[in-house]
Amino acid sequence: MSDPSKSPPKRRAFLVTLLSGLAGLFAAAVLYPLWRFLSPRKGTGEQEKVRLERASVPLGGAHFFNFRGGPAVVVQPQAGSFIALSAVCTHLGCVVKWQEENDEFFCPCHAGRFSPRGEVLGGPPPQPLPELNVEVEGDQILIG
Amino acid sequence: MSVYQRVVDWIDLRLGVRDILEQNLTHYLLPRNINVWYTLGAVLLTLFGIQFITGILLLVYYVPDTGQAFDSVQQIMNEIPFGWLIRYLHVVGSNLIVIALLLHMLSVLFMAAYKTPRELTWVSGFLLLNLTLGLCLTGYLLPWSQLSFWATTVATDAAGAVPVIGDDIVRFLRGGAMVNEATLGRFFALHVMGMPLLFGLLVGVHLFCVRRAGISRPPFGDGYVPRGPRYTFEHEHHYGGIPFFPNYAVKDAAVISFFLVLLAAIVFFWPTLFMPPAGFEPADPFTTPEHIKPEWYFLWAYQTLRIFPDKFLGLAVQVAAMTFLALLPFIDRSRERRPARRPLFLICFVAGIGVFVALSIWGHYA
Repeated sequence: MSDPSKSPPKRRAFLVTLLSGLAGLFAAAVLYPLWRFLSPRKGTGEQEKVRLERASVPLGGAHFFNFRGGPAVVVQPQAGSFIALSAVCTHLGCVVKWQEENDEFFCPCHAGRFSPRGEVLGGPPPQPLPELNVEVEGDQILIG
Repeated sequence: MSVYQRVVDWIDLRLGVRDILEQNLTHYLLPRNINVWYTLGAVLLTLFGIQFITGILLLVYYVPDTGQAFDSVQQIMNEIPFGWLIRYLHVVGSNLIVIALLLHMLSVLFMAAYKTPRELTWVSGFLLLNLTLGLCLTGYLLPWSQLSFWATTVATDAAGAVPVIGDDIVRFLRGGAMVNEATLGRFFALHVMGMPLLFGLLVGVHLFCVRRAGISRPPFGDGYVPRGPRYTFEHEHHYGGIPFFPNYAVKDAAVISFFLVLLAAIVFFWPTLFMPPAGFEPADPFTTPEHIKPEWYFLWAYQTLRIFPDKFLGLAVQVAAMTFLALLPFIDRSRERRPARRPLFLICFVAGIGVFVALSIWGHYA
């Protein structure tokens, strides 16, 4: 048996390691539910397509709608041709406006400009507006 | 020199934290015969901390609207990951707090720690007990279940026993003739903001009183002698006692752990212990459920109201009992703290607990 006066540092180190491990486990047991509780929920219909009436999109005009929790827009530049885009400006996240007289999207926050296809025409946006898939089914438009 | 030590040195140079820690932890001496009952204050602080955190988390999803409150609670319970855990911790925790508060109060009574110079500590603690019951009452309505609705209806109706202005008080409490949207709005505001703010302030006052006067020495053992009258302020020192840290902090941690295990055991194995079936049905103002009862800690008051034929008399008895308890340090002015030398007090103490338990059981089965 070793001298008991020499063992405390080892014992202390062992206890500190043990208690630290237990504290870590306890912290994980508390933080994991907390993280899950506060994590954004996968909303119902995240993969769903959006169905719109074809008549709701006028020729040369735009129709704004909610797409999987965010704003989106569909335009009809030529008769029977539909383009759907995210309506969120790629600069700082404002929602763009459709300017029918100029035939372009305009971001009122910092004067970003986009073509009906979403390409950057001017201003600070670094990237085009993301395009969404569009299918025409009779008198309905299917987006997503 | 380690990084940790350098950081501590840097802070210490500016704020003198080592000195503060020494004064309040390692050099803060407690009586040698201090017992486990003194840990209940730390237990309560921990449990209140859990209530505070789980309460904020519940606010993330709860909607204080009569049309959506019940559904939002159901969503928390059934759809939000671990929502059930957060809510049950809040519900069960509130009940454990009342248990710990009652034990804390009983231990202070038994050891006569409320006596001079600790009257203000007692009064602030008693106010904290009442504020906690107020938090329980206001929180009870928020899920907008049948239980919430009718328990609040019965509880607020009791104020109608006050002569002349009783009906006005009831209308004021409810924000209308019946429990409705306005009641939910004011109870919500009180539960999440008004009462917690007041509570935090009172906890500060209570802890200041405890620290300023010093921990009372348990009135047991051969060496104990009641202190004589004092005419100037004097902090009660315990020279030769045990340091708060680590000696007593370990005991605090052990009892806190016990309560946390109890909390976890109820949450995981018997979560509905404090929730009758009416707590899972949405509120229906046109259908009173049968056998609606208040929570266990209000049963004594509920049964007192039923015993007396006159509602006002029942309410007056409750108010008198609570006032007596609140003013006890000013009524019981003897310096003797040893329980064995206070037979009259001991009889009242045991009888009081007996009456509380008997009324509660009677109220439960009546």
